[in-house]
Amino acid sequence: MRKYMVRRVITAVITLLVVACITFFLMNAIPGNPWLSEKTPTQATIDALNAKYGLDQPLFVQLGKYLGNLVQGDFGTSIKMQKNRPVLQIILEMFPVSAKVGILAILWAVVVGVPLGCLAAYKRETWIDSLLRVVCTVGISMPGFVVATLLLHTLCGGIEGVKLFPALFDGTPGSYVLPCLALGFYPMCYLSRQTRTAMLDSINQEYIKTARAKGLKNGVIVFKHALRNALIPVITYLGPQIAFTLCGGLVVETVFSIPGLGRYFIQSIQNRDYPLIMGTTIFLAAFIIVMNLLVDVCYKIVDPRINLTRGN
Amino acid sequence: MAKTKKYNKMGSLQPNIDDILDWNKLPENAFEPATATEKESFIQERESVSYWKDAWRRLKKNTVAMVALVIIILLTIFAFAGPQIVPYTYKEQIRGSEALDPWHYTLEDQQKINDYIEEHSGSKVLSVEEAIEQARAEAEANGETLSRVEEAKIRASANVKQESAADTEITAKQAAKELGIKSKAFGYSNRELQRKAEGEDVFPHVFGTDDQGRDIMVRVMVGTRVSIIVGVCAAILVLLIGALYGSVSGYCGGVVDNVMQRIVEIIYSIPEMLIILLLSATLKPALEQFQNSGDGVLQNLVTLLGPNLISMFIAFGMLYWVTMSRIIRGQILQLKQQEYVTAARALGAKGGRIISRHLLPNCVGQIVTTTFLQIPSAIFLESFLSFLGVGVSAPLTSLGSMCSEALSGLTSYPYRLFIPAAILSLMILTLNLFGDGLRDALDPKLKK
Amino acid sequence: MEQERKAEKLLEVKDLQVSFFTPAGEVKAVNGITYDLNYNEVMGIVGESGSGKSVEAYSIIGLLQSPGKVVGGSITLEGEDMLAKTANEMISIRGSQVAMIFQNPMTCLNPVYTIGNQLMEALRAHNKDVSKEEAAKRAMTMLEQVGINNVEKRMKQYPHELSGGMRQRVMIAMGLICHPKLLIADEPTTALDVTIQAQILELMKELQKKNHMGIIFITHNLGVVAEICDKVSVMYAGKMVEQGPVDDIFYHPGHPYTRGLLRSMPRVDAESYERLIPIEGTPVDMLNPPEGCPFAPRCEQAMKICLQKMPPYIELGENHRAACWLCVQEHMKSQQNENETEGSKNE
Repeated sequence: MRKYMVRRVITAVITLLVVACITFFLMNAIPGNPWLSEKTPTQATIDALNAKYGLDQPLFVQLGKYLGNLVQGDFGTSIKMQKNRPVLQIILEMFPVSAKVGILAILWAVVVGVPLGCLAAYKRETWIDSLLRVVCTVGISMPGFVVATLLLHTLCGGIEGVKLFPALFDGTPGSYVLPCLALGFYPMCYLSRQTRTAMLDSINQEYIKTARAKGLKNGVIVFKHALRNALIPVITYLGPQIAFTLCGGLVVETVFSIPGLGRYFIQSIQNRDYPLIMGTTIFLAAFIIVMNLLVDVCYKIVDPRINLTRGN
Repeated sequence: MAKTKKYNKMGSLQPNIDDILDWNKLPENAFEPATATEKESFIQERESVSYWKDAWRRLKKNTVAMVALVIIILLTIFAFAGPQIVPYTYKEQIRGSEALDPWHYTLEDQQKINDYIEEHSGSKVLSVEEAIEQARAEAEANGETLSRVEEAKIRASANVKQESAADTEITAKQAAKELGIKSKAFGYSNRELQRKAEGEDVFPHVFGTDDQGRDIMVRVMVGTRVSIIVGVCAAILVLLIGALYGSVSGYCGGVVDNVMQRIVEIIYSIPEMLIILLLSATLKPALEQFQNSGDGVLQNLVTLLGPNLISMFIAFGMLYWVTMSRIIRGQILQLKQQEYVTAARALGAKGGRIISRHLLPNCVGQIVTTTFLQIPSAIFLESFLSFLGVGVSAPLTSLGSMCSEALSGLTSYPYRLFIPAAILSLMILTLNLFGDGLRDALDPKLKK
Repeated sequence: MEQERKAEKLLEVKDLQVSFFTPAGEVKAVNGITYDLNYNEVMGIVGESGSGKSVEAYSIIGLLQSPGKVVGGSITLEGEDMLAKTANEMISIRGSQVAMIFQNPMTCLNPVYTIGNQLMEALRAHNKDVSKEEAAKRAMTMLEQVGINNVEKRMKQYPHELSGGMRQRVMIAMGLICHPKLLIADEPTTALDVTIQAQILELMKELQKKNHMGIIFITHNLGVVAEICDKVSVMYAGKMVEQGPVDDIFYHPGHPYTRGLLRSMPRVDAESYERLIPIEGTPVDMLNPPEGCPFAPRCEQAMKICLQKMPPYIELGENHRAACWLCVQEHMKSQQNENETEGSKNE
């Protein structure tokens, strides 16, 4: 277990390093320099700016310096969106809104998706199962912006007389509903499908046969014996879903005009504010990687096959 | 006698031999030994079905998958043959046909509606078309031509007027309702209606047109085509790279395999969407520079695809093949372990049979399914990026960028968003459903 | 006399037919099986894979999974018709009156619950008023009975922490904890080492004597049958081809298939130069079962009639019968002889 943990953490750190390097080198692949897109400055100004931001040094020195700064929490300063403000400061200001929406979305996805999956497995080959399967397959086939705009259109005044929620995000609890619904819909459907598969897989295991031979009631068999085993793999699907939700946030924040990090990230891409792009990418990547790490660790803890070997 | 009695107690199944012999007069040669050929002909062997035939049989029985397949084929025809039939192109701006709804009123009906509105509101509200016509006439009278900018301004103000009129006065829609006039399907501009009245064959704007007078249906067709091409290319790319990497890793084994698997592990945990966004943000200027640097084949290719699509393919090539490589590596490892395969061959078993019995059912099914399911996920991703404005670059269009363009006018023209969105969702849905069907059909584990 | 016989009869299976309704068509997995089992008796069901022996056992305990279905015949346990029971009644019968243990102890215990949890659950499913402490106590006694030491520690362990043999002991303990009258053991020793096999068999014999149960022992290992069974049914392609006391089956096999099985079994007492003789060929396709005897194509002594008609059962001795035309031929000959002698007497 400890060995696994160490290996997993090392992988995570290396991944982060790789992301940082990719980010760095991609930035350097951009032709010209960041100052060119504005009014053409004189050569002297460019040199001065290059010297100021250390762009005149060799690439590897720059990389080393960049990584060193990252470790210290220095993500550079924004060059366009909020000129000269530290990137980390901007990120930390924007992130809480995104995180709130994301967490709520994942929460409802898990709370609704997993039981629905169980229900579908329990009632397999009935109309409930078919209905859920149709809904969930449609759900994983609709890109986030379709769900978001559909909700926006139908529930925010697009249909006459129906205006349940504010169309623009204003921070009130009501304005959180639609973004969270839209953002959590895909993970909900996905988790529900995975839970159903895992449950059916679990139900076909031999220990279920034993449980049936013992004379246990169907409910006990499904909810005690099958569910616990099915939930273990479902946890592994959670990690990628967190990453997915975070990226889906980009779209949902754009559609609902939420002043979160996702929308800001897109805007900074459109405005070519490179330090901000780099900083946000690394920040989000770090967040996703850490989340994945946590999920993996949880998985190992929940599964007694690993947990107890450590004990003995 | 005592003996027979004991027999009868022994279960009801014990038949009376004499009875049996009486019922079926046994042929005289009944107890002669059977010949080998007789024995052979006796086994009514089930028609031995090949793996693919069997899979196809199961797939055919899956109604959902078959319906999905039909829709996929229809969508493909729609995307590839459609633009050949429709006389408009996706970037052609048809003057006088701007912002048409996918329905129209006949000229007489329009007259009636206008009269009605005039009657009820006193002041005549000019429709957009009329305002432009009027302005154009005025301009021509002054010896000038109406520039696009001016036209757009007039359009905007006419729109505003109409909308403000709608608040206080009667809209065309209400008027039509009052008069019991029903709109006809498909969009035509008034000019086109006149031409049509003159007996010309005018192709309708089935889904209407956008603000720049581009036919939405053609754009949807082209967008669908882009999606399909992106999906298929991405799937092929993933298959090739994944297969290569996986087989090298599995075949070499040892240290090489170990290192390669660590790399896979790292790539696996890289958040790929962020990297794609980053790639398209950073590669765009570089590719644009390259594009302008000359007139070679590569440059043309870049121009054709647009820098964003290229960065997307790069991302696919870099990040998305890991699952595929894992599957293939696993299969190769399994095959390597099966020493008995080699042994059986050495003993004279037919290699072809081993491959068709063991390798194909285990491996190909999974590879085909994974490759196929890559198509909808690539389409999904492409639409996501296009929606965010970092996907397909203009003038080429895609379903995602059409949705993104339509977002600002969502309240007035919801269909401009929902038509491409519906086609996109339908396409991904049917591809997913067919992929699921394919998996069920190809997975020998589910064979009963 | 008649009454006594009824009392000692535990299980009666009559002309049982089980079919699987697959997309490709109906597969008659079990086609007319008849036997009965008394208290204190162990019956072996022998046959190769796919001969329907497990399916037959599952239908007794009501564990047949869709698309499998009992289409004919009857199963009677202690005079009660098992096929007429509702699903809920079957639930209360399973585990308490009929228990079953399975082939693979590695996968048959739920990996995420402790041994103790799973044992107590089996007990408390049928005795709701048993307290937790009482259940734990009984579970530990049961574990001791099946030869597990250090029971208190074992109760808290997870299945993966036990060896295969130990797990099979746990399975047996779980099956017997409610003192069932009938135990169905579906190849319980196949997945174990030979030494462990012997121990488990010994244990089962001992527990059977103690609890006066009937055991149906499904296996393809004739050695195991010789070890533990009182009588044997030999199955081939869903049909019972021979049935009888274990000695009769081993020393006077009536059916060519049984003889083939015996010849293909390694024996300790065999002469060193004696070779094992496999049965040539593969079993018939159960989807299109032929009209005649299913074994005919592999049978060295097949006759023309074998390919046309299923043979009837012929008594070969007390409680020993086989379905083979060879036996019919023998029987006819002997009857003819009888008739002739009678006839000559009359003359």
